[in-house]
Amino acid sequence: MTMEHPRAAGPARALIGAIRRRASARAGREPLRLMEFCGGHTHAIMRYGLREALAPEIHLLSGPGCPVCVTSDSDIDAAIALASVPGTVVATFGDLVRVPGTRSSLQEARAAGADVRIVYSALDALEIARRSPNRAVVMLGIGFETTAPTVAAALEMARAEKQTNFSVLSLHKRTPPAMRAILNGGARLDGIIGPGHVTAITGWRAWEFLPVEFGIPCAVAGFEPLDLLHAIDQLVAAIVARTPRVVNAYPRGVTAEGNATAEALLVRVFEVGHADWRGLGNVPESGLSPRPKYAVHDARRRFALPATVAGKTAVARGCRCGDVLRGAIDPAECPLFGGACTPGRPVGPCMVSSEGACAAHYRYGGRAG
Amino acid sequence: MCLAIPLHITAIDGEWATVTRGGVARRVSLVLTPEARMGDHVLVHAGFAIAVLDEEEARATLALFAELENAHPRRAGDADTPAPSNDPPGADRPQ
Repeated sequence: MTMEHPRAAGPARALIGAIRRRASARAGREPLRLMEFCGGHTHAIMRYGLREALAPEIHLLSGPGCPVCVTSDSDIDAAIALASVPGTVVATFGDLVRVPGTRSSLQEARAAGADVRIVYSALDALEIARRSPNRAVVMLGIGFETTAPTVAAALEMARAEKQTNFSVLSLHKRTPPAMRAILNGGARLDGIIGPGHVTAITGWRAWEFLPVEFGIPCAVAGFEPLDLLHAIDQLVAAIVARTPRVVNAYPRGVTAEGNATAEALLVRVFEVGHADWRGLGNVPESGLSPRPKYAVHDARRRFALPATVAGKTAVARGCRCGDVLRGAIDPAECPLFGGACTPGRPVGPCMVSSEGACAAHYRYGGRAG
Repeated sequence: MCLAIPLHITAIDGEWATVTRGGVARRVSLVLTPEARMGDHVLVHAGFAIAVLDEEEARATLALFAELENAHPRRAGDADTPAPSNDPPGADRPQ
């Protein structure tokens, strides 16, 4: 079937060889530093051994594209505080329940009696609200442009139905401002592997500021190993030719303009503001909050949430997840990696989430870096 | 978080579609892709179809990879290759 994607070894070998030859033909011996923005890409790259296969000519760095990982300590504390309010049900996507806040995690709150439910879709949370009219159901809205429209759709339905016991704690984040913040922070990167499913919504033009403002090419990639290798090949070609541009290497899922229906829904439901990112701090224009007409469905307006952290932050516990999310270090460079911090006993979210860089490096054997 | 899987639309009922993969059917919202039609493949994320896949582009990508395969046929003893997975393509669990 044409929509299934091959994982054949032959083309992979050919692409790996071509990429390494192209990169090594450049003047200078420094490896090319490419950042894969998306945690799903990190997972695929580690799972299929692409990072090792492309070294030493190519150094792949993980980026901030793991929504669970970039959720700040104070936002996790706020979610835990919500779960502790009597009569509330907190609904969340899976990985977030295990992320430690400054004192505990949602999982621990649940063990202590809080009603925390893992949902696959915001529509599931809305359904819980319909069936539990006497409970306040709060959906934890985490995720980037891929996920935010799905939560926006649930908010629009809830408002139309007057389902006033349904609200969202919006921790949604926009990705291009984060990429800009990383580059403005002085990261030295030669190219960016663009996030395929974010870009299915935003359109690839959202990344044009990379070549235009920073002189760095971007190749938007799908999630199969051949998709990634094809994108990296195109990226290296643009770097070597010194023709920075955005390459759409995932044309079956991504267009220049993206999903106009989803973008229009985001604009109807959310307004853009700043957001607090682990590792990046406060990033202007990267947050999405429900518009005032959704006030009754906005958990920040409905509930008194703690504004500051209650206990010891991940950084204070020695976690360098923030540095990993900026591409400043590889996971193995964190002193806790694989010792004090493992997927079984994670100190920080990059080791918790299945798409966190530390978890991917640990699981697929990149422990030596 | 942003994982999305390609699924085949086998029925449409208003803003809802039945999508299937490997004989397993589920219901997804078409609110974000009102242009989706019967027989389309859509990317499904968190209960919603978020994009209609372009079949022509999918074929072109496959042809590109096939060309690479022909240009570099498999040789015995090749080692530096990502191990092919036994999972069905795109079967990674969306979250």
